Amino acid sequence: MTIKRTLVANRGEIAVRVIRAAHALGIEAVQVVSAADRDSEAARLADRVVVIGPAQSKQSYLNAKLIVHAALQTGCDALHPGYGFLSERAELATLCDENGITFVGPAAETIDALGDKLRSRAIAGAAGVPLVPGTDKIVSVSAAHNAAETLGYPVLMKASAGGGGRGMFVARNADVITSSFDAASNEAKEAFGDGTLYMETYVENARHVEVQAVGDGRGRVVHFGERDCSVQRRFQKVIEEAPCALMPAKLRGELHEAAVKLLSSMKYRNAGTVEFLYDVNRQAVYFIEVNTRIQVEHPVSEQVTGFDLVQMQFRIAAGEPALPRQDQIKVGRHAIECRINAEDASKNFMPSPGRITRWAPPQGAGIRVDSHCRDGYLVPPYYDSMIAKLIVTADDRPACVERLRAALDHFEIDGLATNLPLLRHIVAQSDFAANKIHTRWLEQDVLPGFQQDPI
Amino acid sequence: MPNPTPADIENLIELFNRSDWDEMHLKTDQLEIFLSNDAQARRPSAPLVAASVAAPLALGTATTPAPAAPVSAAAAAAAETMIPPGMVAVRAPNLGTFYRAPKPGAPVYVEVGQAIEADTEVCLIEVMKLFTPVKSGVKGTVRQIVVNDGSMIEYEQLLVIIEPAA
Repeated sequence: MTIKRTLVANRGEIAVRVIRAAHALGIEAVQVVSAADRDSEAARLADRVVVIGPAQSKQSYLNAKLIVHAALQTGCDALHPGYGFLSERAELATLCDENGITFVGPAAETIDALGDKLRSRAIAGAAGVPLVPGTDKIVSVSAAHNAAETLGYPVLMKASAGGGGRGMFVARNADVITSSFDAASNEAKEAFGDGTLYMETYVENARHVEVQAVGDGRGRVVHFGERDCSVQRRFQKVIEEAPCALMPAKLRGELHEAAVKLLSSMKYRNAGTVEFLYDVNRQAVYFIEVNTRIQVEHPVSEQVTGFDLVQMQFRIAAGEPALPRQDQIKVGRHAIECRINAEDASKNFMPSPGRITRWAPPQGAGIRVDSHCRDGYLVPPYYDSMIAKLIVTADDRPACVERLRAALDHFEIDGLATNLPLLRHIVAQSDFAANKIHTRWLEQDVLPGFQQDPI
Repeated sequence: MPNPTPADIENLIELFNRSDWDEMHLKTDQLEIFLSNDAQARRPSAPLVAASVAAPLALGTATTPAPAAPVSAAAAAAAETMIPPGMVAVRAPNLGTFYRAPKPGAPVYVEVGQAIEADTEVCLIEVMKLFTPVKSGVKGTVRQIVVNDGSMIEYEQLLVIIEPAA
């Protein structure tokens, strides 16, 4: 391994995951933390901890210069960005390049090109990947009205510069565009520094499927199968699984091929995910975007293929011939991941930070819990509310759903509100067991009937 | 504050941390928040109808010792070098490299024993070639320079000890 010491530029469960992967490969880990994370699990596991700034992300985890300065001062030769925070900012990758630090991720130019939704659509189109019918940038309400007439309602307005549901709205008629356009543009400007919007056909009864891929940076890309992440709330994934059990083999093959074609056209380096809309009615897939990082839901792909993707990230970054041949990657079994969040569904999903007084995750065959939490841990109020990922694996989807139900029932967390009651409710739905879900299913069909006693 | 956002609460805590107050108790129609530097402190009256955000935050900042929270973290950092009673600490505003002089070979900002004003610059912190001077913040006399020139410093690390003017 040519990497000796890596800086971990993230927090929470992914920081723990990255440190463990580094240690498994004999790489030392330096953890940067904010003042609020001095006593975090990642800080305890790391070989060295450096406090870079106050709790606020802007002055700590989002400050690329502070982080690279810390990497240089502590003798790191690599940097793993995790997900979120700076993971998809070309600025961090560029700073690493300029200072002789190996960035564990794609080239800065790749991040730049794929981070802009309109540019990434053009790249996908050029690689022959099917696109949702859509527009170039739209600058005014009247232009939006005209474009919607051409595409046909309903349409989806999206921000060019980023995701996460910000700057995004569905319009079923012209009035919605009139009333929502400016607010969405402002929201995009606020979140990404760029208020540019564009429009796509809105696919009803859509599933969100995505292909996990890894490239060697020289044009060879392999995929690790697809994930189905259709259980979403406000465009945020709640439950993810692999494989997409209902997709016919022929379409699945086309999906994988499209993702590999797109990424190899860019000589993609390291782990990435190509996201698609799966139109179940038309049996078609359309490109959405490429995420140029390891994703929250990567464990389900690890579970069904047997590869450790974070370790592979380090080995690829180190220039090792770590990429398996495509025929060595077999998808067997089924895996489902639930995101456990510290949030209160009875109070409009308000984040509920606080001290965990009891932390008792389930155990057993086929059960994996990725988390940074423990008894007595204080979930700080400054960051994302995800506190754990429960990943359950079994021979097929019905067995996996059964195992997931039991695992959720036996997951005990006291001291703060979590979404465990909601996850149990979702998994108990007959539509979930029958795999008759779509991206609006949770919000339209499940949440209205979900009553939770205030905690 | 009709609809306090998490950012509002964050700012409140930040303001409290920077103040010399021992306690803060704020109550509106929507929110009740009680902050204290004393880990054993309890809200003056403890109605069970505490607003949703107040409860978890009170857990973190008041009712239990919070090693990960900024308030206690500052206390933990303070323990690394004893600050004699009556002395004032100048701490690092962020991670960086500590320099005693504006540039190599130049005279140092301050020497031990030197009398300084509150706006006297006492050292320089570098982050990726961006240099920011740090001011004393208090009028008095430099008693100790804790960090070696050119070493890495972390957030809130003790840099200089000053004896305030009487």
